[in-house]
Amino acid sequence: MATFVVLAAVMVVGALGVVLLRQPIHAALSLVGTLLALAVTYVTLEAHFLAAIQVIVYAGAIMVLFLFVLMLLNVQDAGPRRSLPGLRWAAYAAAVVTATAIALVAFWDGRPAPDPAVVSLHLQGGSAGGIADALFGELLLAFHLVGVLLLTGVVGAVALVQRRAASAHGAPKGFGLPAGRDLPGSGDAAAGKARALGPGGQR
Amino acid sequence: MNVPTEAYVALSGVLFAIGAMGVLVRRSAIMVFLSVELMLNAANLAIVAYARHWAGFDALAGMTGQTVVFIVLAVAAAEVAVGLAILIAIFRDRASTDVDGLAEVRL
Repeated sequence: MATFVVLAAVMVVGALGVVLLRQPIHAALSLVGTLLALAVTYVTLEAHFLAAIQVIVYAGAIMVLFLFVLMLLNVQDAGPRRSLPGLRWAAYAAAVVTATAIALVAFWDGRPAPDPAVVSLHLQGGSAGGIADALFGELLLAFHLVGVLLLTGVVGAVALVQRRAASAHGAPKGFGLPAGRDLPGSGDAAAGKARALGPGGQR
Repeated sequence: MNVPTEAYVALSGVLFAIGAMGVLVRRSAIMVFLSVELMLNAANLAIVAYARHWAGFDALAGMTGQTVVFIVLAVAAAEVAVGLAILIAIFRDRASTDVDGLAEVRL
């Protein structure tokens, strides 16, 4: 129980840091701490493989992507929104009410924790083998759909950034040129440079 | 040492509420996105807690629950890639990620 209390305190403080810290970098690092504490919580829930994946994928890959974009864009969060002045306090009140309601319902409908021996026997510590059995058995369709989704996501991300890059620097180069015309700088441009240098033009 | 399931569910609800608060309060789109990630992880925590609960009765249910979280992680990775690409595209266009100014995508 003591482990859970410490982990819960770390996660709640980290989550509040994500929401309330002014500097976006500080908020992102606070989220990294929350996600690492969540990984430890997965260990206490007998999900060891998920804990490893949480550290590698979430706290590793995804948060590095976030920090990269934060530093690339140099985002400065200039305080709360201006368009809806009362929204800030309404959001605080809604969060307190929602959290209290969920916690009350959870404890009101509380059930005794399952027998740890049976859980350990059934989950086998949340091993990769058990996850693979479910992933390639009952959830095989979801597995295939995730493959399609990841491919779509990669293509979509590249397409989104690519198109903006082309239009930001004027007309996309090499597009809509009549056939037979080479782009400047390609094809016989090397020959033209040699001509411009003249005979024996070696500097 | 055997923490009851409802404690984990309550913690998940608290984290979800804090994330929702961040979505409402934050002005920069990338901070809204960070708060959405927090909400997603809160939901994952609830699923893992329920998976442990049901593993006390049925082995397959427990492993299936953990596998669902695994799939959610993959979906979250794709979501982050596309979302950050959209953010970069918006930032190139407007030099700002302030969500109050974004009215282009409405019908």
